[in-house]
Order: sequence, then C-alpha cells, then structure tokens
Amino acid sequence: MRSEMEATDFQDALDDWFMESMKTYKDLHVYQLEDPTQVLEWTSGKTVCVAGFHPSKNEILQLHLPRKLLADENKGLCAERDFKVVHGGFTDGPVRCLTHVPGTRCIVTNDGLTSDLQVWSVGGDDSDAIKLTGRVKGRSNRRRRSLPGAVCRVAATRSSQVLHGAASGDVRLTELTSGQVLYTLETDSDEPLSSLRFVGDAVFLAGCSNGNVYVADTRTPAPPRLHPPPTSPGDPALWQTEASPGGAVVRLSACGRAVMSDTRSPGGAAGRARLEVPPGGRGQEGGVSWAPALDSCIAVSGFGAAVRIYDTSAWPTEPRDVPPLFEHRGHAVSSQPAAAAVLVTAHVWHPERPRTLLSAASDGSVHLWDWIDGSQ
Amino acid sequence: MPEIKVTPLGAGQDVGRSCILVSIGGKNIMLDCGMHMGYNDDRRFPDFSYITQNGRLTEFLDCVIISHFHLDHCGALPFMSEMVGYDGPIYMTHPTKAICPILLEDFRKITVDKKGETNFFTSQMIKDCMKKVVPLNLHQTVQVDDELEIKAYYAGHVLGAAMVHIKVGSESVVYTGDYNMTPDRHLGAAWIDKCRPDLLISESTYATTIRDSKRCRERDFLKKVHESIERGGKVLIPVFALGRAQELCILLETFWERMNLKAPIYFSTGLTEKANHYYKLFITWTNQKIRKTFVQRNMFEFKHIKAFDRSYADNPGPMVVFATPGMLHAGQSLQIFKKWAGNEKNMVIMPGYCVQGTIGHKILNGQRKLEMEGRSTLDVKLQVEYMSFSAHADAKGIMQLIRMAEPRNMLLVHGEAVKMEFLKGKIEQEFSIDCHMPANGETVAVTTNPSVPVDISLNLLKREMALGGPLPDPKKPRTMHGTLIMKENSLKLVSSEQALKELGLNEHQLRFTCRVQLQDPHSDSDTLHRIYTHLKSVLKGYTIQHLPDGTVMVESIVIKVSSCAEDANTKVLLLSWSYQDEDLGSFLSTLLKKGLPSGLC
Repeated sequence: MRSEMEATDFQDALDDWFMESMKTYKDLHVYQLEDPTQVLEWTSGKTVCVAGFHPSKNEILQLHLPRKLLADENKGLCAERDFKVVHGGFTDGPVRCLTHVPGTRCIVTNDGLTSDLQVWSVGGDDSDAIKLTGRVKGRSNRRRRSLPGAVCRVAATRSSQVLHGAASGDVRLTELTSGQVLYTLETDSDEPLSSLRFVGDAVFLAGCSNGNVYVADTRTPAPPRLHPPPTSPGDPALWQTEASPGGAVVRLSACGRAVMSDTRSPGGAAGRARLEVPPGGRGQEGGVSWAPALDSCIAVSGFGAAVRIYDTSAWPTEPRDVPPLFEHRGHAVSSQPAAAAVLVTAHVWHPERPRTLLSAASDGSVHLWDWIDGSQ
Repeated sequence: MPEIKVTPLGAGQDVGRSCILVSIGGKNIMLDCGMHMGYNDDRRFPDFSYITQNGRLTEFLDCVIISHFHLDHCGALPFMSEMVGYDGPIYMTHPTKAICPILLEDFRKITVDKKGETNFFTSQMIKDCMKKVVPLNLHQTVQVDDELEIKAYYAGHVLGAAMVHIKVGSESVVYTGDYNMTPDRHLGAAWIDKCRPDLLISESTYATTIRDSKRCRERDFLKKVHESIERGGKVLIPVFALGRAQELCILLETFWERMNLKAPIYFSTGLTEKANHYYKLFITWTNQKIRKTFVQRNMFEFKHIKAFDRSYADNPGPMVVFATPGMLHAGQSLQIFKKWAGNEKNMVIMPGYCVQGTIGHKILNGQRKLEMEGRSTLDVKLQVEYMSFSAHADAKGIMQLIRMAEPRNMLLVHGEAVKMEFLKGKIEQEFSIDCHMPANGETVAVTTNPSVPVDISLNLLKREMALGGPLPDPKKPRTMHGTLIMKENSLKLVSSEQALKELGLNEHQLRFTCRVQLQDPHSDSDTLHRIYTHLKSVLKGYTIQHLPDGTVMVESIVIKVSSCAEDANTKVLLLSWSYQDEDLGSFLSTLLKKGLPSGLC
C-alpha cells in the first residue's frame, strides 16, 4: 500500500514539474541512456558524445540531436524528438574525460587511472564504429602520488594538437599524428588541475585545485604568468576553476563560495558570491562552465541533482548569497524515489544556442533543455 | 546443415515498408506486406519477383502473417493477394482484421479518387483479400498445417499489434513487427516468454534511437493547445477513431481539471460510436487503466469533453475539437479545417502520419496555399503542428526484448547505407549470439542446431545403465550403441536384436579363424597350458579361461592346439573369434606368432 502511495506521490510531483516547465522552458527533452555518463562533449553543433564509466567495459556513443530542436523556422512541422545513435565504440576502462579535436573526426579520452590518452576515430568509411587509433603518453606513473580527482584535463586545437595533463607539473602539448611533444608547462608546482582551456590559438589557462591559474603561450618557452586566487579571510583552499574564452575566471569551492575575476586585469576587483549547496555538499563530478553565447553567465552542477545558472555580472566584492537565474531540477524530480540520491555528473552549454544545455546524471538520464530567462 | 533463410523484400536501403520472407523447415512465410509511402510508382510495392518471376504466389507461400494495421505493414496486401495472386491463409489478430480494411479503403480512395492513380487495388479486391484472413488470438498456438505452427504475442504499439512466433519441428523464428517496451496510457508493453527461438527478427532503427520521454511529448502537446486557447484560438485535432484519440482525451481532461480551464473540448460523435464499438470488441487489448475506466463508465463520459455538433464550429472563442478522419482528406475534420484555416490564432495538431494526396500531407510539407474543389484556393494561416505519439521501442527496449526471448541468433532489418559495425558488435558481445543485418533483397542463411527427439526402448536403456560407469549427466554426453529405426516421422532407438526382430531380418554372425604355427616340444595339452599361462601374464584384466574341453578362451576367442602330422614339435594353433572381438583376435594372433617365451612352466 505504501509503495503504491509513494508511486502516486512521485507521479504527482513529476506532473507538477512538467506543468510548471511549460512556462519555464522553451524546449525540454528527457532521455534515458543505458549507462550513465560523466562526459558530454560536442563534436559539432548537432552531435554530442557520451561515454560510460564502469570500471571495465563501456560504450562511447556519438548522438545526433533531435531534428525538432534544430528546425528553427519550421519547428512545428517536425515531429522528431529523439536522439539518434550515429556512432558507437567500446572501451575497456572508464571514460572520465572526452575531448573532440576540432575540425576532425578525432576524439581523445582519459580513464582517470593513468595520464595516458586514448585517441579514437569517429566513423568514416561509411561505418558506424568509433575505433581506437592510437595513444598519447602522459607523465609516467612512478612520480605520481595518488591524487584526488586525478583526471586528465584536455584541450585540443584545430591543428590536431592536444594540450593535456592531470596536474600543473604535467601539462604538455602533443601533436597527435607524430606523438611529438611540442611544449611543456614550466612550473615548480604540481597541483591537480581542474581545467585546461585555450583562450586563443596558443594562449591557454590552466586552473588548479588550489585556485592558482597559470596563463601561458605554447609558442614561447617563457614561464607562465601566475594568477593566485584573490584571497580574503575565510576563503577555502580547494577550488574548481574555469576560464572563459575571453579570459574571465570563476573559481568555485566545495562549500559553494564563488569568486569571479579577470586575468586580463590581474589586480582588479573580484566578484564574490555564496551559492546554494544542498546537504551532502559537492560530489566528484559536475563543475562550472561559462555560457559561450551569453555574457557573464555560468552554469554550475555537482551540487546534488540540480544545474543552476548564475549571472556573475552583478556580484559584489563581499560574498553574499546569490540566487540562481535559473534552476534545472529535472533530474531530481524524475528519479525514482526508492533509488539512491541522483547526482548530476556533467553539463554543457550548446556552442551556439544561447540558452540550450545538456545535462547528465548518475541514473543515466540525459536532459536537453532550453530555459526561459524569467528576468527578461 | 539445417538453415533458416531470411530475405527482406524491397528496393534500395529504405526501411519505409516491411515485407520479409522466411524459409524455415521447408516452409515459406511472408511477414507483413507493407506499402512504401514515400514512392508514387511501383517502388512502393515489395518486389515479389524474388518469389517467382511470373504467376501466382499461392504455391510458393505457406502463409502470410500481418503484424498490425499500419499501412507500411499491410498496405500492399490487397495488391499481393488479388493483383499478383495469393489464395492461401493470411493471419492477423482480430483487431487488425477489423481495422485493416477501413484503413486500406481510405488509402485506396485517396490514392485513386484524389490522385487519379490507375495501377492500384479496388474496393472489391480489399473485400476479397480480407476473406482469406484467419484471425489469431494471443498466446494461442495455431496449426497452419501438420508441421507449421504460429503463435501471437502482445506487442503494444497500436491496438491489435502482435509479435509472432513461428515453429516448424524444433526450429523457430520470432518476428517483432513494431512494438514498445514501456506501457503508455492506453496500451500495455510488449511481452514474450523465454521461448529461445533460433532467430529473432526486428528492425535496426529501434536500436539506434534513444527516445524522448512520453511526458515531454505530452508536455509539448499541452503547451501548444494551451497557448492557442490562451490567445482565443481554436484547436483542431484530426484523429483516427482509435488509439491516440483516447489517450489525448485523457491527457486533456486531466490538464483541464488541474489548470481549471473553461474552454470547451469536443469530440465528433462518429468518433465516439466507432471507438466505443471497437473498445467493446477488443477490451482485452488495452491496458488496465482503460479497462477499469471502461468497466466503470462509458469510454467517453468525460467531465470536460462533450459531443460535437456541426454548428459549434462557428461559435466564437477558444475550443478544442477532435474529429475524423485523421488525414484531413474528407468528412468532418476537413470541413472544420476549411472554416478555421484562415485565422492565425487557430491551430491544427496532426498526431500521425498522413498519406500523400491528403490535405494533411500537404500542410505538413509546409504548403500554405491549397487548391480546393471548384478551383478555389484556401490560405492556410493557422499554426500547423506535427506530433508523433506512436510508441516504439528504442536501444534499451530492444536489449530488453532480447533478454526476454533469449534467441540463439539476431536479425536486424536495416535501411541504413552505413555499415552497422557498432550495433552488430554490441549485440554480439552482450548476448554472445550472431547478429545478421541483410540489406533489402539480400538473403541471410542462419544455421540452426535443431535437436532431434528420438524414442529409446526401455530395454536398451536398462542395458546401457547396467554397463555401469558414471551417472547420466546432461552436460556430458555418453556414447551408446543401438539401432536407429526411422519410420514415417518417428525415430526409435532399439537394441540390435529388437531391431532385427521388428524388421524381420535374419541375424548373421561373422567369425574369423586363423592358424598359427608354433614350435614347442611339449605335449598338446602342455602347450595349451603354457599358452594359457603366457596369456594370463600379458593380458591382465581380461577374462582368460582354461576349459576342461581342451580350449583356452580369451573373452569370446577360442584357442585350440593340435600337432602337425609330420612333426610332433610343430604345433598348429587354431584361433577363432567373432567380429566383435576383431581387435583382440588380431592382437592374439600377432602375439602368438612370436612364439612362447622360455621360462614358462
């Protein structure tokens, strides 16, 4: 009897959320993968890659977005709302990081167990297979301590060069075809990296878990510029940092403190905020990302089962509670009540559509949503 | 090796139409006979020339099975049976039999009357075709003939849709047709038992799709309806009498209740009557919820939904109307459409596929000016929305079905030009079975390993058991000897003696005799004794006897000693053995030819 009531309550809560969503989302699509993914990587404006993270066998899939989402003018005439699995491949270990090499059919993955990268070719030759074509060696294990969050971060360039590393002492630029190492980051520190991002053709930002951000240029052997986190008393020690292509940096701590600064004006004032943290704090996955097509907006996941959008433009210098501009609770609402608490494992903004995001959760769900800015 | 052969018929790589030929145990079966809705010429029909170049199909096919009433599965049936020619049985479920002719007639009217086509079947042909139909009940085994039997399973998807299990001897095939693994508001989910068929046939499009949730589709529908109503517009939903209509009604009713909406919702009466009629007939085909609703009250006693009257279409203000027919090709839905098309506040929601030649098809292709009768044009200003509610399985669903049925091989009919290496690999790895993917027109032969049941006589069984050795184990086959008698269709394993008796044959015994010369300066009886001792030391574990009648016996082999007439020291040994002891006999003769060792007492 009780489980029947629970089931009805669950359905009601779900119905409520869906009803509400009619006013708060322009588009909403809810999918269920066979296995949960920790990675969401665009390979074009229409295709995205996902991959499993079981300890042993996993699938890597390239999915095509539903045509209905992409059909802007004649949206009404298109009925197709489903993902199409266009390509797939098998891997022997978990996939903790997946990066697309722009302008190619190539993707690069890392299993979080070593610093090596696997190189794959997606399709080609009229086949639906994703095949392993090579490996890139990272730093060897003997120097390595077991670092928490020791996943490689990877950033790729159009000229098939890959910048990768799990820690600041380990960042190198490798050319994929030859395997030649073209550049290494010269630094004494060896902090785990939380992000690696190109802000130009050759200039990149390496964000560390202690809040340090290195800015370097792969064309010069000159040492990188270091931007320590703008500290104030009470600032925490462990950060997730993310840089926008324009050079703005946001640092987010496990307890929800966020600091926004700009590497182009190193001494400049920082914006601070206290973001909502549900009981249970921050999980391992998820993260923070800048909106590619919206000014000053970031999306934050990894705190429970929601993805929250914030506008950093009005953050004051003294930390204050900041409400989100938008909160996507879909994963929490649609997870079965008896199941373990659902966590969002990854989220990503669409590269062109300003308010379209993809989010994935630990129960295998993947949501595609286009939110309405209630403030406008 | 025994094989099951499968050929998807058709032109090109399209999966726009289903028509699959299966050869199993000497029987030929056609699965579905669909029309390709994208072509206007003969390419829309399956290519029957594969079966025979000219002439009727009756002698080449043992039966035809239709999975459900969608035109891409049954649209070419009257063409096949009446224009190409087939007089054998056509199997389908009861609801399919009731609904097929209606859809076929509609389709015919549109294609012939509206589009003016000539090479097409007539109304009479549809009727003649349906006379050949033998209806199926779920889970009921039907003997097509002495050897071929079929059974239908619930497939969900649409009313009356079935998956079919085909068995000839110990070989079997399951064809899924269209199915879905998650129940929806008015239909249950597909189900099949662990029947372990040699082959499971399905479509690859399922495996490469990840479906958007039902709730999101419904949300979109409700959002659109709500938006129109809010701006004072009218919403027309053309429906077929069954299936989706009920579901959408339930959805709207719930929504209206929750949002406390006041705009009227109407159902055209023709729809109500037909729907009630069908539901009464086929109540077992819908899911629990509908059955409960139907039992408690009339299907269409909704609080917010009322019967429609023609005059209401002119009433001012917002409203929602469900009307037939579903493709806007005639009747009430078309009349209403003509009235409402000119106002951009209004909306038409098409919940399904529309055949070429219909207004529905035209507006879904973006046409905004329509030519009506009497050369008048209609400006289409209202909003046109195409929504798909049809329930199909997806990648996860197909894996679930394979787990349920446990087939030994998988066959996916696919329309992709792309080589489906990943998909094939995924199924092969997950289930350790072969996955075949023939292109249209290509035949795939799947080797089967049928078990042949044989009766064994009790005496033979007892005798084998008495031989001792390990107890019977299903995993470890044990060799046994007997005679296999094949009489008509039965196979029997009996002992040789029984076989001879039954067949009235004489038994012949074969004995070999061989003479070996030996030098031995002893008396005959001593020589015999020396042979006995010698053999006892060499052939340990064998039964060796020195008999009082002056012979030595090794198992069944008899050895006698006699002297040569000229020389008493030259002994002649006579060895005699039966065919069964051939090996031992040869061994003994070779051994004794070497002579007796000295030192024997």
